[in-house]
Amino acid sequence: MKISFLIHNAYGIGGTIATTFNLAHALAERHEVEIVSVLRHRERPNFTLDPKVSLRPLVDLRQEKEHPLHLRPARVFPRAEYRYRQYSELTDQRIGECLATIDADVVIGTRPGLNVHLALQTPRHVGRIGQEHLTLDNHPPRLRNALRRAYRRLDVLTTVTEADAAAYRRKMRLPGVRVEALPNSVPDPALPAADGTAKVVVAAGRLVPVKRYDLLIQAFAVVAAERPDWQLRIYGKGEEHDRLRQLIVDLRLWNNVFLMGAAAPMEAEWVKGSIGAAASNFEPFGMTIVEAMRCGLPVVSTDCPYGPGEIIKDGVDGRLVPVGDRDALGAALLDLVRDDDRRRRMGRAALENAGRFAPGPVVEQAERLLAEAVTARQAGRPAAQERARAGRVLVSQGFAARDAAFGAASGALRIVRKGQR
Amino acid sequence: MSVEQHREPPRVACVVDADGRITFDLPPGSAPGQQLLLRLRPKKGQPEKDLHLLDLEPVDDGRQRVVLGPQPVLTEGRWDVYLIPEPGSGRQRLRPGPRDLRTLVDGHPPDRQTPLAVRIPYATLDGYLAVRAWLRPAHAEVGALDLTDRSMTVDARLHGATFQEGAVVRLRRRGSSGTVLTLEPEVAQDGRGFSFTVDHGELAAATGTESGVWNAFVEPAVQAPAIRIARLLDDVADRKDVYVYPTATVDGAVLRPYYTVDNDLSVEVRTGVV
Repeated sequence: MKISFLIHNAYGIGGTIATTFNLAHALAERHEVEIVSVLRHRERPNFTLDPKVSLRPLVDLRQEKEHPLHLRPARVFPRAEYRYRQYSELTDQRIGECLATIDADVVIGTRPGLNVHLALQTPRHVGRIGQEHLTLDNHPPRLRNALRRAYRRLDVLTTVTEADAAAYRRKMRLPGVRVEALPNSVPDPALPAADGTAKVVVAAGRLVPVKRYDLLIQAFAVVAAERPDWQLRIYGKGEEHDRLRQLIVDLRLWNNVFLMGAAAPMEAEWVKGSIGAAASNFEPFGMTIVEAMRCGLPVVSTDCPYGPGEIIKDGVDGRLVPVGDRDALGAALLDLVRDDDRRRRMGRAALENAGRFAPGPVVEQAERLLAEAVTARQAGRPAAQERARAGRVLVSQGFAARDAAFGAASGALRIVRKGQR
Repeated sequence: MSVEQHREPPRVACVVDADGRITFDLPPGSAPGQQLLLRLRPKKGQPEKDLHLLDLEPVDDGRQRVVLGPQPVLTEGRWDVYLIPEPGSGRQRLRPGPRDLRTLVDGHPPDRQTPLAVRIPYATLDGYLAVRAWLRPAHAEVGALDLTDRSMTVDARLHGATFQEGAVVRLRRRGSSGTVLTLEPEVAQDGRGFSFTVDHGELAAATGTESGVWNAFVEPAVQAPAIRIARLLDDVADRKDVYVYPTATVDGAVLRPYYTVDNDLSVEVRTGVV
């Protein structure tokens, strides 16, 4: 099969990029795989790309940032999408050309706005797979409306959790579209697993408010007070950096808590620790949790929607604590810091249980979905047979009506605001 | 340039063991007879003079490997790592693969052998493999820093020397003035651990009206050679932006302890800050 991924920016750092590269590498064993990156802002990607996978940027921001078409707003890419401001008539045009002339058997979109491009612009004979790395419930109503219309033209829609797949089935009416949870995969680690002796807690991710590194630092104060020989290392960069630095100073934690900067890949950093930590308010999947577990670290995480609860088995291979609860997070960390045996036991369980996120099983499922999309296109019939029950239709129409009302209301609000100016 | 050099350079995996030896592993598929070249990065405009060639040996799975033991001794600095694909051919820089440095993280055996040789494989800013090396006849390793508005107290430990009568800590002002501030360390029972406290007001007064930087040394006995106070004994090759301490303001001067690009401890005093 010839497979093309369409991604926002393959040159950055983040869970979607990491998992797309992982899946692309694994598929490249048996298929011809390319990654089309809408944007490019640097010479080479942060993550290493297997030479078997080709990479094709569409808009190079180093030269085309001021391109006249790039200064005009996008019309195909949906306005309600989070990254709308980074898209333009130029991206509309380049993505459209790319899809119109694509020689792949199947194209995989990796974010809502790109899935819309796929739905509208992919030639009839090419399979269309939309991947959702975010969650339906967290999308604004106007985006849900745009997606509800466009996603009907996909063959397959994958989410990263069962919970989110259930939400799509329940709240969107997508007849003939196969909706299935395809978890992110994490490659088999090249390094031996952590042995649980290091006095280091490790966290990784972009330094943005939703990741709640502020909460993690506050929670770690309890650990540092009782066990000053332990440290917390936070890897990543982002807008919260200076505020987190100030928090470390305010809490007098400069001997124990360190902002390490970005590291990609993280593997060699995970194995320096013996506990992983995640404090997010919202985590569609939780790639770093799986990465840490695959390196033999038990992970203490908030039980936020949706990822962590589908990855961590509380008390077995990690701990789940209520969202935003500093004291519970601190207590769970301290429990594992104090109890060497339990920490090592849970680390071994994490290593074993995270095996289900190895590329093997995930890629098998992905290949089956790709084949279904291609077959459906060739046969001219839907990838999923509709098993519509009246009840389900009514339920999804209810959600659609509510989103439409929200959309209309926020539209009205904009008009009012305009009138006031 | 040969075809070889156009290709994406190979990624080299590194493992540091408990004794500080570095194993370099090249991916399978490379021809036998290759060598690694370690080159001390010269100062701008200077010729390179410190070079070490290491023979790669094939191992079972088709990889090529070389172990960098205590010999050759690496002089202090940044060593770039190159591949010599065949004897006499041009050299090729290498990309870093996974660097397993876990043994360094907690690398504080109570007493390190001296001269102290620390070697940390790291990725350069432009993404190539290099080794950061320190080589010191004796060493004072910084631990925790306690900071208040009025003073800073530094915990540290001597390696390769013991305290005797007349030990002092000296803050030496950088530049030509040669100004020195002498402090009395508090020495632990074992004659190795020590701490010293810097009075911010005193340091600000000694700095005067011009901003300055003070480097920290310890002299463990009368007339003993000065030992630079630094933090070298873990996996962090570039500490400056990771171990960051708060500033204190005294009499219009802003003081801040920090690690230099060589991971040595210094105190910056900025005056005339509005």
